[in-house]
Formats: sequence, C-alpha cells, structure tokens
Amino acid sequence: MDIELICLLSMLAVFLLANLLLKLPVSISMILGAIVGALVGGQGIPVRHLFEGTFTYVDTILIISTAMLFMTVIQESGALEALNALIVTKFHKVPALMLVLLMLVIMFPGMITGSSTAAVLSAGALVAPVLLLIGIPKEKAGAIIAIGAIMGMAAPPINIPAMLIGGGVDMPYIGFDGPLFLLTIPCAVFAVLFLGLRYCRNLDIEKLKEGLDLEVGKKYGFRLYIPIIVLFVLLVVSKAFPKFPQLGTCLIFLISAVVGLFTGKRFNFWKKSLDAMETTIPVLAKLMGVGMFIQVLTLVGARGWIVVSCLGLGMVFVYIATFTIMPGFGAISSYGAASVIGVPFLLVIIQNTVCNDIIVAAVLAFTCCLGDLMPPTALAGNYAAQIVGLKYNKVLKCCIIPFVVCIAVAVLVIFNTNALAFLTA
Amino acid sequence: MRKIPKNYITASILCVFVIAAVIYLGIVFRSAKEAEPIYPGPGVTSVRMLSDWYPELKGTSGDTEVYILDSGVKGASMLVLGGTHPNEPSGFISAVMLIEYCRPTAGTLYVIPRANNSAFTCTDPQEAAPMKFYIDTDNGTRWFRFGSRATNPIDQWPDSEVYVHASSGQKLSGSETRNLNRAYPGNEGGTFTEKVAYGITSLIIAEKIAITVDLHEASPEYTTVNAIVAHEDALDLAALTLWDVEEDFQITLEKSPINLHGLTHRELGDFTDTMALLMETANASQGRLHGRIDSDLVVTGKDKFYARAAKYGAVTVPYDDSGISISERCARHIACITQFAEQYQFVGDGSAISLGDMPSYKQILKNGIGHYLSSPK
Repeated sequence: MDIELICLLSMLAVFLLANLLLKLPVSISMILGAIVGALVGGQGIPVRHLFEGTFTYVDTILIISTAMLFMTVIQESGALEALNALIVTKFHKVPALMLVLLMLVIMFPGMITGSSTAAVLSAGALVAPVLLLIGIPKEKAGAIIAIGAIMGMAAPPINIPAMLIGGGVDMPYIGFDGPLFLLTIPCAVFAVLFLGLRYCRNLDIEKLKEGLDLEVGKKYGFRLYIPIIVLFVLLVVSKAFPKFPQLGTCLIFLISAVVGLFTGKRFNFWKKSLDAMETTIPVLAKLMGVGMFIQVLTLVGARGWIVVSCLGLGMVFVYIATFTIMPGFGAISSYGAASVIGVPFLLVIIQNTVCNDIIVAAVLAFTCCLGDLMPPTALAGNYAAQIVGLKYNKVLKCCIIPFVVCIAVAVLVIFNTNALAFLTA
Repeated sequence: MRKIPKNYITASILCVFVIAAVIYLGIVFRSAKEAEPIYPGPGVTSVRMLSDWYPELKGTSGDTEVYILDSGVKGASMLVLGGTHPNEPSGFISAVMLIEYCRPTAGTLYVIPRANNSAFTCTDPQEAAPMKFYIDTDNGTRWFRFGSRATNPIDQWPDSEVYVHASSGQKLSGSETRNLNRAYPGNEGGTFTEKVAYGITSLIIAEKIAITVDLHEASPEYTTVNAIVAHEDALDLAALTLWDVEEDFQITLEKSPINLHGLTHRELGDFTDTMALLMETANASQGRLHGRIDSDLVVTGKDKFYARAAKYGAVTVPYDDSGISISERCARHIACITQFAEQYQFVGDGSAISLGDMPSYKQILKNGIGHYLSSPK
C-alpha cells in the first residue's frame, strides 16, 4: 500500500474520529487530521505549511466577514422587511413567475462575482424572508437559496472554476457563456419550482400582509433601498467597466453597509456587528481548517495519489469521477477541485475523445461549482442554513433531487458536445 | 444562530500560542526575502537594475538585477528571462548558469535571472512547495530559492475576482492578476506586476533587443511542454534552432496563439521589434499529479505517480522512473538559447550574436548542471 494512501486514510480517520465521536468542531477536526497526516508522512508538525494553507481562503474570509456586516445593516435598518413587503404585494398573483424572478435575484451576485458565498449572503439574505413568508418551509427555502447561489456562481459572465480550468490548459475564457447558460438556467428554474411552487399556488395576500411590516417602507420610502442599490451598482460597474477603479467585493460590501447606516432605522452597529461576526466565526474557522488539510494532502503526496488513482481507472471512470469525485472534492474546495482535478481531467478527455473542449471545460466547471453543496465545507449550504435558522444537513437533504438533476443535465451535455458546439460561437 | 460559549482560560492559552506561532512564522516567512548568491562569471561586464529602464521600480521588490555580458564585438543583443515563474526552477538555474559561465564572443547578452523578483519571496498556498532546493556543484552544494508562480501578495493584493488584461481587455481568472507572464506588455500606471512587465518591455525597446527568450517549465501532463512557443516574427529563428537541436532531443515548435494575451511570446512580439520566444520543459514538481514534494523532486524530477500516469497515457512527454532531472531541463534550455544566438545571423538584420564556448546538451547531461555553476563561496 502506498504511504500516500496511508497518510490519506489517517487524515480521514482522525477527522471523522474527532468530529463524529469526540464531537469536536469541523475546523478543529480538520486541523487534527492535517497534523496526523503530516506526522504519518514523516513531515513532523509542519507549522509553516499549516499556516500557509489557511491563506488560500483569506480573500473568501474577508468577503464573508464584510458581507455579514452588510447583511446586519440591511436587516436592522428595515430595508429587508420593506423589500419583502414590496415583492409579495406585487407578485403574489403569479407565484411561478415570482419564484423564477426570486431565483434570478439569488443568482445575480454569484453571476457577477463568481462566488456562491457572496450570492447567499447578499441576495440570499434578501430573498429568504420572502420565501418563508409565502409559506415555503425553512429547509426548502434554504435549499432554494443554496442551489440558486451555486447556479449563479456557475452562470456567466463570471465562472471562476472555468477560468481556473481554462488557465491550466491555456484556454482563453471565451465562448463559455452559451454552454454555461444551458447548464445553469434550466437547473435553476427546475430547482425553484420543484422546491417551492407547491407551497405558493394559492397565496392569500391578506393573510400574508399580517406577517409583513408595511409601515417601515412607508416611513423611510425609497431611501431604504439605497444600500442595496449601491451594492448592485458597484458590483456591476466594477465588472462591466474594467477602467473603473477596482474596489473589490469586500470594499463594495463595506461601502454599502456604511451607506445603510444612514438610510433607515437607527441601531447599535457595534453590538449587532459583533453578534453577526460571532455567529460566522465557526464557518471561517472551517475554511482555515480546510486550507491546512489540503496543504498537508499535497505535502505528503496524497493529492497526487487521488488524482493518479482516478486517471488509472480508465475513461469510463474519468467520466464517473467527473460527476462524483469532482463535486465531492468541493467538500474541501470547489476552486481546488477545478485546479487539482479539473485540469488533468480536461486534458485526458480532450486527448482521448472527439469533443468540443470549451463545452467539456464548462461542464467540468459546472460540476466543480456543485461542490459548494458538499459537507463539511458546503459554503452555500452552510450559509443558506444559517440564514433560515437551521442546521445545514436539513437544508442539504432538500438539495439532493435538484443536485441529481444538475448532474443529469451535465451528463447530457458532456456526451453531446459536438452537437452543442454552436453554443460556443 | 448559535453563539460560541466564552472560556477565558482557553482563550488566553490560545492567544499565547498564536503570538508564539506568529513570531516563529514571521521569522520563517521573512527569511524568504534572502536571495541566494549569484556569482558573476568572467563574461559579465556590468550589473544594472531594471529600475534603470523604469525608475518607478526603484526601491521596490519589483526591481531586479540585469546582468550584461558584452562581448566587446559589435553585434546583436539577446535577453534571457529566468524566474518569470520562480516555481519553474530550470529557467532560473539556466539563467544563473549563463551569468556564471557564458563568455559571449559577438554581440551582447542580457540576463534577468529573477524576472519576477517578488515571486521569489513566497510560495503558493496549497502547493506545499519547499522554500529552497539544493544543487551539487564541483566543490559543494548551493541552495536556490523556490518561489511562487505569482507576485508576493505583500507587494500586490487583493486580487480582483477577474483579471482583465490591460491592453487587450481579455478576461482571465483573478489568480492570474499577479502572474508576470499575463501582464505584458505592461502598464505604466497599472499594478505592481504590470509595472514589472512594463520595465522589461522598456528595457527591450531601449536596448533594441533582437531576441528575447523567456524560460519556463510546465507540468508533464500539460499540452505545451518540451516546446518552443514563438511569435510569428520569430518562427524562422525557432525553426532553424529546432533543426539543429532535434539531433539530441525531441522538441516541438508552436506558434504563439493570437488570442491569448499577456504572454511574452505574444505581446513582446507585437509591441516591440524583438523576436519573442518562450521555452517549456517538463517539471514534475509543478503539476497536480506528483507525490510528496521536496527539494529532491525539484532537482531529480523523479516521481512515482507521474511514472504511473505516463503508463496510463495521462502525460504528454516521455516519462519513466528515471524522471526528468533539472540538468536535463537546463540542458534543453541552454542548447536552444545557444542556437537561437547562433542562427540569428541568418534571419535577422545580418548582425550576429554568439555565446562563445557553451557546453552541449550531451555535456550538460553527462556532467550535471552543477558542473557549470560556480562553487559556493
């Protein structure tokens, strides 16, 4: 047995033991797994590597932290309540259209930033109360947000896993829009209607109004929505006009949050921010644990063992792994899946089959994005669950059927790339 | 949402631990700023800084040494870029070898061993790379810095989600924002990395560099490996070189894609009069398939997983248990650079550049690249 496999098994065993039996947090369990893996691999306790691994997620952690501040502001200022009231009163007569529009709202920040986390924490937080208000159960509302955020992350114009895979084979990020729309829009529409439509076929607007705060909107008027508008305008402008100063997603969230302090109800920003950050620290710690884990996987050679073992099982297995191991690797990192597995898989597929390489890359990127549903990291699932006030495994259970449909669509596309080649024009 | 219970004793212990770790790691990471010594050989006539051509780089980590080997005989000029990606060590070591060994007999050779100097001061998260690697010379072992593909985030951060190439508008993953070989021809008012690229482009224009060779490595599964990539203006030169070196080793010639922007072989050819070429060798420490990574893997290029992957048909170069050593990779680079210089007189403006008595591919393979490096002093 390869020593690399022994390291991998040790890491997984220690992680599971610590998490499931000792009930330690996922983050601590991953750190323990990483340390044991390094010891078994003869690397001692590699403090430098453990620390360096965490840096993979510094940008993500900052985005999550600033997005949490933005969420707090729009919740406490009354903007969220006012927006809920507006959407429900305008669209309650056409629930299917309302759900699809809400899904597009959830997807939008992900489409612009390429991050499911940004989508969940911005638009997801806005839409969640509406979904709950119209009677969709918490776990299904969470699932809609999680799937919507992932579809947004995968949809054009920005799909970072596609860029990472393309970058690994010198493929410019050109021609991806068509294939990515084909993969994401049908899946998103299916997911929201499958999960939500049955609960809002006969909405009683008078009953709904009892649960809505109609006064806050009247009192503050349009200015309540200014922070949300600032957020979306800055996100779009910074992406659509490269010459515009690049503020970065973190600063955009912060600017929007500061604006929101002056546009609605007054509240104790310091206290509410501390509360918000305290609730998000376990997820941030989980990301750091994952960073250490993957760094040690690489250090001891277990990463190479995983990839080469997949390649060694032949083309059929490469396809099977594309739709199982690749999204599964998202449990560690969906971007990591794109870089570590996506690139060699793309090379193997395009070298061994007659196919359209752009569409194959788009499918691989799409399946990588689905990894943001995979526990323990499950970035999209985790935050969607937090937003609806549930543990994330309940939300993830509701994601299973939409997930399977997404995989089925991806399978259909990857085996018909030549027929779909016109989409890359 | 669940709140974390407070425990002051645990928090205090953790704080002490974190402070100790920060101090220790601060020392470790700051040590990466120390550059390995390079010993200029008899051919080096002067050493200047890149900021001499673009003063805004002065005092920054982007400023880097430019070694000039002037033969004293009028002729053409050639620039060799090593260390564009400091995680591709054969390019860097080949550049150091030129500085320490080469004695041109016609024209002038410019060598920038650490093209992205900043990227030598860090390593890439999740790649678990060593900070140093070691090569045996005739009289002792020398250490060299193993760095990152990208500029140190200390010098340029944060990355945008999407990198937009300044002159073409091409969009790439945000992770390419700090990649020097996606930043050409550079941008005077741009990012740190774009300014370094601008400095190199300025040097090429000011010194009328006839040939620019950018030395790289790629993972053995990559499609463009063991290859010369040439701008269309440099295709004849590359073809003549290929003709000559193919007796010793297999190498392919690829034309620079016109829709892939920011790379030396595209932008330097388009924006300057230089003949722009890029070379790739196969580096097992760089790909996604390698096993345990350390200095030995970097130098010997031996990796059991790549050997397995080769049997599965998953790599694009011949690869077996003997690996592809840094001596072999440097030998490829040096053999081609020597021939680029020699063949220029047939495709250029009639002027010549000659690197003098350079070892052949076979000699470097036999003696090892360390034989052509200075011994540690």
